Amino acid sequence: MDAEKLLQLEGINKEFNGIQVLFDVGLTLYSGEVLCLVGENGAGKSTLIKILSGAETPNSGTIELFGRKYYKGIRLWQAIAAGVATIYQDADLVDTLTVADNVFLGEELKRRGLIDRTKQERITQELIDDLGLRLSADSLVEDLSPGQKQCVQIVKAIKRDARLLIMDEPTSSLGREETEALMKLVRRLADEGRGIIYISHFMEEVFRIGDRALVLKDGHCVSTRILSDTEQEQLVIDMVGRAASSFYSRKEIAKGEGLLEIQNYSGGGLVKDVSFTVRQGEIFGLGGLVGAGRSELMRLVFGCDRKDSGRLVLNGHEITPSSPSEAVRKGICMIFENRKEESMFSIRPVRENITVTSNEKRKLLNLAKEEQIVMEQVEKLHIKIFDSSQEAGKLSGGNQQKMVLSRWLVEEGEIYIFDEPAKGVDVGAKEEIYKQILRLAEAGKYIIVVSSVLPELISLSDRIGVMRGGRLTSIIDRADATEDKLLKEFIGI
Amino acid sequence: MRKKSLKKTMRDLWLSQWFILLLIIIAISAVTAAVNPSFLRFTNLLAVLNQVASLMLVAIGATIMIASGHFDISVGAVVGLSVCVMAKLVLGGVSDILVFLAGVLTAVLCCVLNGALSIALKSPSFIITMATTSVYSGIGLLLTKGVIQTITGKFRFFSGVKLFGTIPVMLVIALGGYIAAFLMMKHTQTGRQIYAIGANPNAAYLAGINVNRSKIKFFAIDGLLVGIAAAMYLSRLGSALPSYGSGMEMDAMGAVVIGGTPISGGKGSIIGTLFGVLLIGLISNALNMLHVDAYFQDIASGLLIIVALAISALRQVLAAAQQRRNAGE
Repeated sequence: MDAEKLLQLEGINKEFNGIQVLFDVGLTLYSGEVLCLVGENGAGKSTLIKILSGAETPNSGTIELFGRKYYKGIRLWQAIAAGVATIYQDADLVDTLTVADNVFLGEELKRRGLIDRTKQERITQELIDDLGLRLSADSLVEDLSPGQKQCVQIVKAIKRDARLLIMDEPTSSLGREETEALMKLVRRLADEGRGIIYISHFMEEVFRIGDRALVLKDGHCVSTRILSDTEQEQLVIDMVGRAASSFYSRKEIAKGEGLLEIQNYSGGGLVKDVSFTVRQGEIFGLGGLVGAGRSELMRLVFGCDRKDSGRLVLNGHEITPSSPSEAVRKGICMIFENRKEESMFSIRPVRENITVTSNEKRKLLNLAKEEQIVMEQVEKLHIKIFDSSQEAGKLSGGNQQKMVLSRWLVEEGEIYIFDEPAKGVDVGAKEEIYKQILRLAEAGKYIIVVSSVLPELISLSDRIGVMRGGRLTSIIDRADATEDKLLKEFIGI
Repeated sequence: MRKKSLKKTMRDLWLSQWFILLLIIIAISAVTAAVNPSFLRFTNLLAVLNQVASLMLVAIGATIMIASGHFDISVGAVVGLSVCVMAKLVLGGVSDILVFLAGVLTAVLCCVLNGALSIALKSPSFIITMATTSVYSGIGLLLTKGVIQTITGKFRFFSGVKLFGTIPVMLVIALGGYIAAFLMMKHTQTGRQIYAIGANPNAAYLAGINVNRSKIKFFAIDGLLVGIAAAMYLSRLGSALPSYGSGMEMDAMGAVVIGGTPISGGKGSIIGTLFGVLLIGLISNALNMLHVDAYFQDIASGLLIIVALAISALRQVLAAAQQRRNAGE
């Protein structure tokens, strides 16, 4: 079969709130090919596929799809009509309908005005059998395993004659056998002349299934490699090798006498028996792939989720909290990963956002003093606002994050947990946040930083704990930490 | 410099719902007075206020509920139950102060139960209070066997006692409630918890607020206000039936919405609600004064809410425009 050019992206640029996340990205996809998209978290993979599937419009660049050019980005319906199907990690299906109903959702077959269930089920079953899947067209989607749900999405795509399939980490929630079956299916779909864009963190999968790999890093295309001629080593270097300037150089801070012990934390069906210690004035980094259980662990430590086991001991005294309010009383502070959902009161003023935690200590508020505290923080962290009554949701990402951080700085806690402290913020705010973290270390606090950004993890931490599959698999000293080594630890090769 | 700040103050005033409501109140009063001068008589205005005094307190509770992301649609039934409990006690010869305390306690317990059920069953308070509405009405019916409880001449403190010989004490209490609620929203931890939980309950929990305890507290405050409202209601009417409060929850929520509080939670204006209640009371009186058919009054009160929403929507457009101007400056 002659390879036909299905897709060509040229010069795609994209920015969110003034932060550029894609720079002149281009890619080409031929029929019968599996193109793997690889890169660290935040490299821009998701944004790129959102642009491809029409969920986001690029700021500039052209998309040529099946020979037709789209200049101002493609619309969601245009992409679907043209034959692009995106298969998401969290299957995008209606749980309470059957497989056949889902496959025909929005394009139901009708007979005399009513839905022709029998015919829908027959056609669906034919498609399923054709793909060699073990699935029944009349079973309810909610009874299916994650792998089967992925398959339903694929069946749906085939039913629509999709010629370009985008799969975003399809195996991340699958077991070994399901992964195996899915890999076979993907290969077969490609061999039948479709084009597949496959995103995965797992190197083994990439090399097994992919024809070529496009490496993205910090929004730039680093390389396109033909996988049969490439060493795994080389691909990892492409993914992590970067300019030294993205590292933050920190000073050494003398450690104090105190010791924080995280003992045998398990829970949430993911975290399994994690223990480590943090010395006073130490910054302990926690790395791993998305889904390794880092945030889940920290939520257990902060007391916001129910744990199966675990004790938090500070200088010999147990301080295990069972709720966030208890954690705050015991001097534990946590900056959460999802700012908008977990930290912000977007429709409330900046002032209330900063003092929400400290106000829990007094029944009556002193508004003049509160304003003074808020303005001190605003000045200290260079938060850009008109005045303290401005709505928090109207600030830029960096200013929002600094605002959330200052909520905990007025708190005078002992233990600070940062979950992705610089997620979605610009360079300036990032520096400011790092500076504050170091200042806390200097003040003799105990600090844990969860980060998916390797340079951040390496340049901030004294030691880095690596989590994989809910367990703490190793602890690496800063002196020995390289991006290459860490990434291998994350993936487990 | 000073001139500019005055200009800004005027602009802020135009953007506040209560100010627009005040203008509408003045306009309606002017028209009504022109047609029927007896509208402006002191006794008439006092009667209007007297009629809405109970609603005023219930509407404060509704504002707190909605601002914190909750709905309590059982308050009408709670008022009904509470007046029946109090009337029974009055007829049993219990002293006024104990009757009052029992009425308030009934209301607080009912509302706290609403909150506790909503937390325990992890269900929206709207659904829970829909269910408890029937429960509380039913208990009221059981208690009274559906027979009207007349207490003529007794339990007269709220409606009988007049300040300076003219102003009924219940009016003073209702206005006092507004001052207290205004101060609470602005100057206390509880006020901040109301807004924080209404804006983002998950973030409030993670910021260290004991969200469940706070919710119970909000429902208890609501119950306290509803209980006092019920006592005033009984004192004014001199009789009790379980159906007495029915519809009050809708009037109260209507007043909250007219006052510019969005039902999505996290925001809420006590002053807006005050003017909302006043407008509701005024319209019905003005229509009477203008000899408008009683059937039109229902239509008018519905239209009022739609007009208020239109004003809110317009204000948002204006505020956005102003923000753009600010950003440009």
